[in-house]
Amino acid sequence: MATNGTTRTVTIRLQRFNPDVDKKPVMKEYTLEITSDTTILDALEQIKATQDGSLTFRRSCRHAICGSCAMNVNGRNTLVCNQRVNAHLDRKGAVTVRPLPYLPIIKDMVVDRTSFWEQYQRVKPWLVPPDDVPEKEFRMTPEEVAALNDAEKCIMCGACYSACTVTAVNKRYIGPHALLKASLRVLDPRDTITNERLIEISGNDGVFRCHTIFNCIDACPKKLNPTQAIETLRKLAQKREAFVAARKERQKSL
Amino acid sequence: MQISHTRIFQLQRLSAIGLVIFLTTHMVVAHYPPGHLDFSRVIERMAYPLWKGIDILLLASALVHAVTGMYMVITDVEKVGRYRQVLGWASIILFTVAFIYGTITILAFRLPAETVNLIP
Repeated sequence: MATNGTTRTVTIRLQRFNPDVDKKPVMKEYTLEITSDTTILDALEQIKATQDGSLTFRRSCRHAICGSCAMNVNGRNTLVCNQRVNAHLDRKGAVTVRPLPYLPIIKDMVVDRTSFWEQYQRVKPWLVPPDDVPEKEFRMTPEEVAALNDAEKCIMCGACYSACTVTAVNKRYIGPHALLKASLRVLDPRDTITNERLIEISGNDGVFRCHTIFNCIDACPKKLNPTQAIETLRKLAQKREAFVAARKERQKSL
Repeated sequence: MQISHTRIFQLQRLSAIGLVIFLTTHMVVAHYPPGHLDFSRVIERMAYPLWKGIDILLLASALVHAVTGMYMVITDVEKVGRYRQVLGWASIILFTVAFIYGTITILAFRLPAETVNLIP
């Protein structure tokens, strides 16, 4: 890793929780030397390697693409692998790192994402294409691609899900991550179960639960817009029959 | 009573539009009218059926918006989910009682008998 050579001493304040020992999470401080390029994940690795080997956290790619290392830094959900420590220091030269909020903690920064994946599966995030697959490729117009609003770039890190205040009180709510993915499939002209999808997402735990608080947008490390996707789904759910009929017409020209 | 969330959402949006229109009118006319404000002017205005109608619509918009909003926020909580039906009925009863009470209060505004003939 390239550095500019200068180092400084900082404090990393971590929420620790070992279910075998602790009754509730406790905050612990670690002092370490960092350079201007040190990321928060680097700092966690350094603490684990040199100060406390029991520190537990998920990480994998280190390039903000796997979504494993989502954590809460100074009260805001983000990926820690692409965030420099320097950018998050408070006036006392400290950074506070906690696990993703509103999710059960397994150990230290590792949270139980069961509800996250259950809700994801619920929207059937896969494409269901027409039976008569054409010999050539499916053709989508540039407008149809633009309407997807980059939703396919979601890396399923859970930052938006954990930032959502509705999921905090209701784990049956589908959640911004799954609704974003649902919008990707609903807006895909190749998809054939649009009606089923719209019925599912407009139920008791669907799009109408969203209070448009925008926490999901703030939290998304990929700068995606789940709130807009939810708004789009709301509109489509209200004119479901007309939309499904238009979809069938569109598929004839795929 | 369980109304679909789509309908509740639509009711809330429609009542919000009603609130923007009627609440703005209400604020301008009832709280910041040109000139001084006293009860005689209020009672004079409220003698017109049009103003009574506007105030009843404001009441309806506010109640629909409040009741649907409250229902949605309360049923957000997972543990309350099983009581949705009870809460739905409670919301409708609350709306009905408050609307009847408010409407009676609005309709009760009448000019004193001796000034009735002065209204153009």
